Amino acid sequence: MTATSAQRRPLAQGLARAGTLARRPVVLLAAGTLLVLVILVVAPLLGLVSTTLMAGNRDAWGDVFTSRMSANLLWRPLGNSLLMGAATAVLSTLIGGFLAWVVVMTRIPGRGFIAVLATIPFALPSFALALAWDSIFRNDLIGGSAGILGNLGLMVPDWIAWGPVPVALTLTAHYFSLSFMLIAAALAAVNGDLMEAAEMTGASRVAVARDIALPVVAPAVMSGALLAFAEGVSNFVSPALLGLPVRFHTLSTRLYGAISTGDVSRGYVLSLVLIVVAAMVMLTATRVTGGRRSFETITGKGGRRRSVPLGPWAWPIAGLAWAVVVATTIVPAVVLVASSLTRRTNDFASGLTLHYWIGGSDPAMAQGQRGILANPQILQATWNTVLLGVCVALGAGFLGLLISYVITRSRGPKPLLGAMSLISYVPFLIPGIAFGAAFIAQFGAPIGPLPSLYGTFAILVLAGIAATIPFAVRSSTAALSQVSRDVEESAVMAGAGLMLRLRSIIAPLAARGLLTGGVLVFVQMVRDLSLVVLLATPAMPVLAVLTYQYSSENFTQLANAVTVIIAVISVSATLLSRRAEGAAQPWNEKA
Amino acid sequence: MTHTTDRGTGVPITLTDLRKDFGASTGTAAVDGISLQVPPGAFLVLLGPSGCGKTTTLRMLAGLENPTGGEIRFGERAVARGDGTVNVESAGRGVGMVFQSYALWPHKTVQGNIEWPLTVAKWSRQERRRRVREVLGLLGIEELAGRYPGEISGGQQQRVAIARTIASQPEVLLFDEPLSNLDAKLRVDTRAELMRIHRATGATSVYVTHDQVEAMTMATHVALMKDGRIEQFGTPVELLAAPRTAFTATFIGAPPANILEAQVAGARLTVAGRDVGKAPAGLPAGTVHLMYRSSGPRLVAEPVERCVPAIFVDQVPMAERWVIGVEIAGGTRVSITQDVPTRHVPGDSVQVQLPPAPETCFDLDGERIPAPSQSAREFEQQQEPV
Ligand SMILES: Nc1ncnc2c1ncn2[C@@H]1O[C@H](COP(=O)(O)OP(=O)(O)OP(=O)(O)O)[C@@H](O)[C@H]1O
Ligand SMILES: [Mg+2]
Repeated sequence: MTATSAQRRPLAQGLARAGTLARRPVVLLAAGTLLVLVILVVAPLLGLVSTTLMAGNRDAWGDVFTSRMSANLLWRPLGNSLLMGAATAVLSTLIGGFLAWVVVMTRIPGRGFIAVLATIPFALPSFALALAWDSIFRNDLIGGSAGILGNLGLMVPDWIAWGPVPVALTLTAHYFSLSFMLIAAALAAVNGDLMEAAEMTGASRVAVARDIALPVVAPAVMSGALLAFAEGVSNFVSPALLGLPVRFHTLSTRLYGAISTGDVSRGYVLSLVLIVVAAMVMLTATRVTGGRRSFETITGKGGRRRSVPLGPWAWPIAGLAWAVVVATTIVPAVVLVASSLTRRTNDFASGLTLHYWIGGSDPAMAQGQRGILANPQILQATWNTVLLGVCVALGAGFLGLLISYVITRSRGPKPLLGAMSLISYVPFLIPGIAFGAAFIAQFGAPIGPLPSLYGTFAILVLAGIAATIPFAVRSSTAALSQVSRDVEESAVMAGAGLMLRLRSIIAPLAARGLLTGGVLVFVQMVRDLSLVVLLATPAMPVLAVLTYQYSSENFTQLANAVTVIIAVISVSATLLSRRAEGAAQPWNEKA
Repeated sequence: MTHTTDRGTGVPITLTDLRKDFGASTGTAAVDGISLQVPPGAFLVLLGPSGCGKTTTLRMLAGLENPTGGEIRFGERAVARGDGTVNVESAGRGVGMVFQSYALWPHKTVQGNIEWPLTVAKWSRQERRRRVREVLGLLGIEELAGRYPGEISGGQQQRVAIARTIASQPEVLLFDEPLSNLDAKLRVDTRAELMRIHRATGATSVYVTHDQVEAMTMATHVALMKDGRIEQFGTPVELLAAPRTAFTATFIGAPPANILEAQVAGARLTVAGRDVGKAPAGLPAGTVHLMYRSSGPRLVAEPVERCVPAIFVDQVPMAERWVIGVEIAGGTRVSITQDVPTRHVPGDSVQVQLPPAPETCFDLDGERIPAPSQSAREFEQQQEPV
């Protein structure tokens, strides 16, 4: 409708038209979900900004940027963050790219198994690798007990035990998975018909590699590197566990330190700096990969028709590939389990015990801490964690379904839809710990008649939903695309209203995809530390935070045991969902 | 027939200057002001080439798309107005639609597919069961009731889709190219089946297709569409006998009529530089388009009067006759029907003799020049009244 025709139309008709439009259920739905998004995503960010601008807090900007403290508070940590981001990006790309090449382009033994193992680190909590490193390489620099190597009498130099090197390596061990998945998928795509088609033209192998393979793989390499960079810049737990003891600070640990010691406004300013840095990297990543597809999970598809002959190099290359995947999956798993069983921390000579799992309080061990399965606080935290995962998965899943429905299916007003898709993407740009800070800034104090949510379960759930909404929207959109428009419209013709359609037609047909998306969100919440580390309180514990606390208090066995529990929950949820996926759609099995 | 209970009453459908504009980006409107009226129980076919706005029109009738101008009336009742003051929801219109993809709900059995709309419409359980049995019987698919859509063939899915649509006894039945996914034989069978259903239900039907044979066989009324407008509206016989535009002439008929570009000079007609006879009275000097039905031109061995040289292209058997395709200068294709196949091979030079006078003439815009020739009138008179 053009503006002129609207002006010519009598006012009464215009009003009637607006009336029918506003009464359309999808418009109401769009407006409602947009409001929820604004409360969950926009309000906390605005809260963060406005808190730092309030009288009394404004000095924080000067303190952070231009005072004598700035070097320690901002610039050095910022430099360290960028360094960790760059190191993670480079190493992840090298390792992920190498493994992808091995899996897709060669025929070394056990390729399939390498492909599976290489995807596992990303599914584990990132502190699992930091804790495993700590258990192996810890030295006596900061007191407390040594790691496994130390207990075997080996001297571990400080630069291996603490600081930038272990932080970068543990981050890489976690994030190379991502590069691997992206590059392997791209390589698999090139390796089939595309290469053959190019070679049919008579081009040389070098020309084919340069003109065909490289351009196709380059975006995957770039986006893997940029995502690893963004994660490396903002990761909290690795620098906190392996860097803090030697005062190796990053932005994340600085802002955590500031907020947890009551220096809230400086913490908020640092959060904003971190958000800006991470968002710039993520936006670049999105640009490079052309659209918002960058965080789509891509599973490698094997069009392995050709392979590179390796000759005498076959065994060394196979050995290297095996070493990498074993060192990042099986070794940490074994170390975490075994170390949780040692009587004296990481000292196998001291004998094995199940005390840290099931023992009662014994003043001689871990200052009287009970074994985790006998500790009501841990049981409480386990329950909280699972409940949190379920609530966030349900909440984000439901909201994500509504948002993706409104965006892809309704022909609601364009600006409304544009705003929705933009806002539901924003949390992807924000590091978890900064998001946590934003939630405290917005909901940590009473708003009008509403009480402060700090320390409640509700704030954890709301923050979780807000942080995972991009993933939920993404997976719902994919699931919705499985339900053809006609199938829904024939229900419209039958007179089924919007809610009835969502319940009786769309949800059952999209169930498989919705379930997978829900489990993804669940697992993400269960293993997440950075989002909840500022929000959880001793009265409202969650497992990841307890792990962190145990570890910083040197209760290594307990920290490792809790990590094992988290890994077990995540892995079982994933396995269960695989089974349930089949059961959810019986009509598909017969077909 | 045992199914006379099914016979409801259709409603007349009136479209007045109906428009749909999807927004500035597309440039022109998808449906650009169409008006027509059909009586209760009519079988209206919307016919036209791809992208001419058939589906859009049908979806506006269904209530799946809101018009941006004009009005739709079912009987006395306005169900949609382009100014937005009236937009009755699909469910309140008494319409049923058979989708091109069938759009069966894959997680419901055949029985469930047919029954669910009745449940939504709050029929009693007993009524629903009775009605489901009835339509299953009407379509002859009782034995499929317990299966899922993924477990039956395409033709059977089609029947289920029809059963589901007629179960709630709509006054208006809408079909969007329902036969396009079927193989040739099944298509002919299903066509007959659809006409039977139409008679059995008595609903006014609107049927979208780009296949003019379907339109000619099934329709009581045809709206031939082009670029969002109605090119010609009438009975199949009217469209065939008295095409108002060159577009109609080339779209309707099997094979469609031949349209040749000709020059008018000194009361004579020339095609491709050859004299092809006296110009009918009333033709302006200059370029015109002449229509010859395929039964008119003949292949001749030697250049004689009214002859145009051509290249033989192909020949296709059709209803125990042969349609010979040739190309004259400028690449225009001419179809000629004759009783026996020719021995020419593609590429041979041939001579085409045109009849003494064209059946119809059109100006350069494709509009008929109002001098309907004698033969066209005779053709109309030969037809029996419908
Ligand atoms: N949702 C839409 N948004 C924008 N343009 C549309 C939309 N639906 C249809 N159109 C445009 O409107 C015009 C008419 O489309 P329509 O689907 O009605 O054609 P059709 O006659 O059914 O064609 P076909 O025989 O190919 O199905 C086309 O140009 C199409 O691109
Ligand atoms: Mg269509």
